[in-house]
Amino acid sequence: MSALRRINVIVGYEWRRAIAKKSVLTLIILAIAFQTLIMVVFSRFGATMFLTDEDKSFMWIYSVLQGQGFFIPLIAIVIAGGSMSEEYEHGTADILLSKPITRVEYMSGKFLGGFSLLALVEALPTVVGVVLAVWFFGPQNSLQYVPLLFLAIVYSSLIFFCLSFMFSEVLRRSTLAILIAFAILIASSIISQLLASLYMITGEYLHFYLSRGIPTWGASYFPSLLIKELMTLPSTAFFASDPLISFEAAKRGVSETILVGEALQQAAIIVAVYAIIFILVAVYRLRKSDVTKKTA
Amino acid sequence: MNALSSQSVITVSDLTKFYGDFKALDSVSFVVEKGWIYGYLGPNGAGKTTTIRTMLGLLKPNQGEVQITGINPTKDPVQALQSLGYAPELPTLQTFFTGEQLLDFMGKMFGLGVQARKERIKQLLDLVGLKEWGDKKIGKYSKGMVQRLSVGLALINNPVVLIMDEPTIGMDPEATAHFRNLFTNLSKEGKTVFISSHLLDEVQRICTHVGMINKGKMVFTGPIAQVLEAFTQQWVIEAELEKVTETIVSSLKNLDYVEDVKVEGNKLRIELKEKKDFRGEISSEIFNRKGVLLSLNLHKITLEDAYLRALKGGQ
Repeated sequence: MSALRRINVIVGYEWRRAIAKKSVLTLIILAIAFQTLIMVVFSRFGATMFLTDEDKSFMWIYSVLQGQGFFIPLIAIVIAGGSMSEEYEHGTADILLSKPITRVEYMSGKFLGGFSLLALVEALPTVVGVVLAVWFFGPQNSLQYVPLLFLAIVYSSLIFFCLSFMFSEVLRRSTLAILIAFAILIASSIISQLLASLYMITGEYLHFYLSRGIPTWGASYFPSLLIKELMTLPSTAFFASDPLISFEAAKRGVSETILVGEALQQAAIIVAVYAIIFILVAVYRLRKSDVTKKTA
Repeated sequence: MNALSSQSVITVSDLTKFYGDFKALDSVSFVVEKGWIYGYLGPNGAGKTTTIRTMLGLLKPNQGEVQITGINPTKDPVQALQSLGYAPELPTLQTFFTGEQLLDFMGKMFGLGVQARKERIKQLLDLVGLKEWGDKKIGKYSKGMVQRLSVGLALINNPVVLIMDEPTIGMDPEATAHFRNLFTNLSKEGKTVFISSHLLDEVQRICTHVGMINKGKMVFTGPIAQVLEAFTQQWVIEAELEKVTETIVSSLKNLDYVEDVKVEGNKLRIELKEKKDFRGEISSEIFNRKGVLLSLNLHKITLEDAYLRALKGGQ
């Protein structure tokens, strides 16, 4: 049997394992419910208070991005956080790794299984987001970019998936892995915004780069930056604005479009660099250490 | 120690394993050949499970090497573990699967085709007595049923070598007897069975060879008859008489093959100089001295005695 087939067997296994988790299903339901609620609120109040007719035709972008906002990183953390660690906790790692499979193949299957499931989960709020936007705000513009936005969302979620996956393997305790990854998600979001504000006050580029170097920035802004790079949005479109870009454009006296292109590249690189580092740490840990005995 | 041979299925050489500063295995070496049922004995914490987990490549040894059918599982797990079946001690199986689904998944891991898996699953569920439970979620199984399924899982690939860590723990007596027969039959088919067990009686009943480990050190490895012989220091005949007289005692003491005679009420403990059954001669002597014999037993060493002596010697 080829390595690819062995990896594929573990991918299928990982799907079943993750789907069986009630916490994942609960978070998916919560994500959709929250997304629907927000769109209902916007359709009731936003449409009369501040949304222009042009804005309304791009509401699918907001609907889709907002649907991914908080719950998707959380789902990524929960799926990845239990992926490796639960097998150690339950003692099933012994059973799986005593089969004819290398450790790297096993981890590849676990990673690809979890991440492909996450991509499928992300497809759900993407589709629901578009449907809700059409339902509440009428015909939408530039819907041909939906698949690209979806891919951007999948790519950007790599950071928190890989972070949680790394902790799952390094700590081999699912609760601890999920809690630490979640704490990093919250903390880095706060720190990134603080640093951005600090940059706007002091004008120090150290704060600017630190703000962007923190994992949340790349993960949060990559999809919206891609959208801004791909299409011309109405100037009133609140949902695709990055205050740091507006500030920087005014400071340098350049067009925001130029800075969006730069920022998009930076975000793409940051996501890739973090993801690669996290995965390498996890692979190193699995290859170099013993398979931990059942702990739960 | 046995010399290496072309029939060697499991070869453990000079295996040393540290957990931090603690030496869990200290230069452990043994060989298991084709068709043997090898019982691996040792008290709690002796290093049995560490040995097994190192044999499977789950633990990396600090020194030494393991070979399964000539292949090192740490270096090439795909080849080394292809013909191996393993049932862990008190297994926790994936509760989101049914028994059939888990067997099917394990079959896929060994690269079995759809039809082969289907046939094998049916056969194995029948073999381990879970035919009626195949389509039920494993979360609903009792401990004994999980244990039985675990043995089934270990057999999914029709392995050449079967490694079992306390395989009958949690099973009822009927299932225990069934699995003992199964292991014996597998051995007759030319498969090698490695069993780690606390149940000395079980090991004595089914194993052809035995290894004893204590505090991480191998105390003995060899045929079961040899272990009994190696740790036997003396054979004893215990006789119960209606009445013990001084004449009987002194006449027995005068026999060439008797080392000593101890009296406890109407019982005699006759310690022999040779490892030979002298019950016929003893009963004749007692009869000649007008004694009435109620019972006469030769006390040879059991595996438990040998085990305890081996552990004492290894300390």
